[in-house]
Amino acid sequence: MDSQNIEKKPVVKRESKNKIKVDFDRSPLKDRLKAKFLSTYFLTKVIFTIFRLVLMVGISYIVLFPFITKISGSFMAPEDFVDVTVLLIPKTFSIDIYRAIFTELGYWEAFGNTFILSFSTALVQTFICALIGYGFAKFKFRFRGAIFMLVMLTMIIPHQTMRLSMDMQFRYFDIFGIVRLLKGGGIEFFGFNLADISEGVGDFFEKLNVLPDEIKFGRYMKQIGTQQVAQYRVDMDITQAGINLSGTYFPFILLSLGGLAFKNGLYIFMLRQFFRGIPDELEESAYMDGAGTLRTFIQIILPLSIPMMVTVFMFAFCWQWTDVFYTTMFFPTSATPFLVKIVSLPTPASLITDFAGTDLYNTAIRNTCGLMIILPLVLVYAIFGQRFLVQGIEHSGIAN
Amino acid sequence: MTENKALLKPKRKKIASLDRRKARAGWFFILPFLIGFVLIYLPMVYESLLMSFHKINYVSETGGAGYSLEYIGLGNYLDAFTANQAFSQALVSGLKQLAFDVPAILIFSLFMAVMLNQKMAGRAVFRAIFFVPVILSTGIMETIASSDILFENADGSGGIDTGTGTSASNDLVSVMDFEQLFANMKVGTEIVSYVATAVNNIFDIVNRSGVQMLIFLAALQSISPAIYESCKIDGATAWETFWKITFPMISPMILVNGVYTIIDAFTSSDNVVMSYINGVYGGGPGAATPSGGNAQSLASAMYWIYFLMVILIVAVIASIFSAFVFYQRKND
Repeated sequence: MDSQNIEKKPVVKRESKNKIKVDFDRSPLKDRLKAKFLSTYFLTKVIFTIFRLVLMVGISYIVLFPFITKISGSFMAPEDFVDVTVLLIPKTFSIDIYRAIFTELGYWEAFGNTFILSFSTALVQTFICALIGYGFAKFKFRFRGAIFMLVMLTMIIPHQTMRLSMDMQFRYFDIFGIVRLLKGGGIEFFGFNLADISEGVGDFFEKLNVLPDEIKFGRYMKQIGTQQVAQYRVDMDITQAGINLSGTYFPFILLSLGGLAFKNGLYIFMLRQFFRGIPDELEESAYMDGAGTLRTFIQIILPLSIPMMVTVFMFAFCWQWTDVFYTTMFFPTSATPFLVKIVSLPTPASLITDFAGTDLYNTAIRNTCGLMIILPLVLVYAIFGQRFLVQGIEHSGIAN
Repeated sequence: MTENKALLKPKRKKIASLDRRKARAGWFFILPFLIGFVLIYLPMVYESLLMSFHKINYVSETGGAGYSLEYIGLGNYLDAFTANQAFSQALVSGLKQLAFDVPAILIFSLFMAVMLNQKMAGRAVFRAIFFVPVILSTGIMETIASSDILFENADGSGGIDTGTGTSASNDLVSVMDFEQLFANMKVGTEIVSYVATAVNNIFDIVNRSGVQMLIFLAALQSISPAIYESCKIDGATAWETFWKITFPMISPMILVNGVYTIIDAFTSSDNVVMSYINGVYGGGPGAATPSGGNAQSLASAMYWIYFLMVILIVAVIASIFSAFVFYQRKND
């Protein structure tokens, strides 16, 4: 804009009661457009925006493409899989796979079980992890750092490492050998078997004759043979030791109650970081008003941290929902169906074909099972999840 | 003076008791973890270690089977290395994979977090899409994806019969193209092949960098805009601002994410070593024939070897990088 133009006074073009339109004498439109659009600033900005958009769309495509192929494959009839001209859009539209999943694979029963399991564990985990995270965030006590390292340790050691012992732990569940003691077995803790004491106690209970029969007959049997076998759950009728929690929801609930379940270390870390961001004055004023720590936590802190809690709940819910490791470990038989198990079931009878593309068709069936498993999660995520996810993480102050 | 002291003393005592009360409350809050850790977790870790030194004798195979342990010392550990060459191979390739994946995931997630932090049209949509894998591509979906030949078909040249499946035509870019592209630039061939492989594995990398992206995004949000403003006034370019402001400010999160990525990479079930050991545990294909112990105890020993290696790596990396991490506040 030239200096002479600016010195000219603005011309009033139109004036009404509460509006005034003023026309400044500006440089001509052509010059103005030139100045705006031919600058290097504008050009770099345009190039950068286009580059960014392409990148974003491209990566979105990469993320969504597997789902697109799964969806398109799920609507194909068997003959489409041997047709080279069919890639993504089915030529012979069919919903046989969906029908078979609902009617033959017992979708709804598995859905119900999975929902109960995921919902209950996620609820317990969210609350327990919030409790633990709050304890680490707001209170100073001795060994706090060391104990927090233990929390991290539970996250670092993969549960696969303890697969066998975890399985055994819950198959023959026992705390400090109390159950076994009641049954007349040996007390063992960390491998030290106090068989003699328990013999005495077992005898004592037997004499009292207060125990139900099925417990009483599970007497600890003496060491068999002369070979030096480790005195660890040895030579006793193991089926009588402890309570068998395998095939129930208890292993999940117990692990969740201890903040030890799948990825709970991460949740504790997230919540701790979040609570650290909440100013101490809030709690102090609550203490002033005479509230205890637990009450302050439940009535003041929890309502504040709903976005973060929803985020953690959603993680816990979704990761439990799709989890294979724990579900197959604690429910080894097919007596209680779960959604993750419908994938490995044999092909439904109505879908068995002798077409050439059987492998591809079976893959499509498996993919469709996968789709049906995650469909509820997609709904959860789409309806309220992603809003809270980003919000919760944004306000979490994880970085502090 | 003495009166003053007498007046002050009870006051101080009261403060101490409040501290003690708060400490007690702290113990109360973490009580669930402590109980669970001592009663459930420690015995499990202990048993798992114990089993790796023993041979498990199953008492009866049918029904509720029992077992007893027979001490065989380091037999399982020796077996893992001597009787199974495949384990050492898997270990080496697993660690190689780790060394490849971690920087790629970190760089990618940081880059995407910076992108997603900018104001642009459809940001919410892109964010929602990018976090989809965090929720959906876990557990069973990983298992399904690993044998998804339909996806491979659609992803590749399009024909049904692609033969072995992993032909060169399926790659997005080939290393050769990249080498030609970078021939005139003075960069090493290692970097070129690294980038080419990273681009070809982009799907894998995108899928596994969701949580890291979230953490970086949160870190970026927590940087005060005032700092950027003052930088802009001082005439810093975007490039300078990134390296002088953004990078140091989020360096603690780079450390956290690095450790998380390593742990996540080596605990995921599609990891080479993990799937190998899982195979050994289940006695499936690729299972080794143990000479002294049996499959499960051998697998336990392998898990522990692998775990110790990774914890060593994590410790070394964390200690090196924590020297470079910049903390804005010293305490807490």
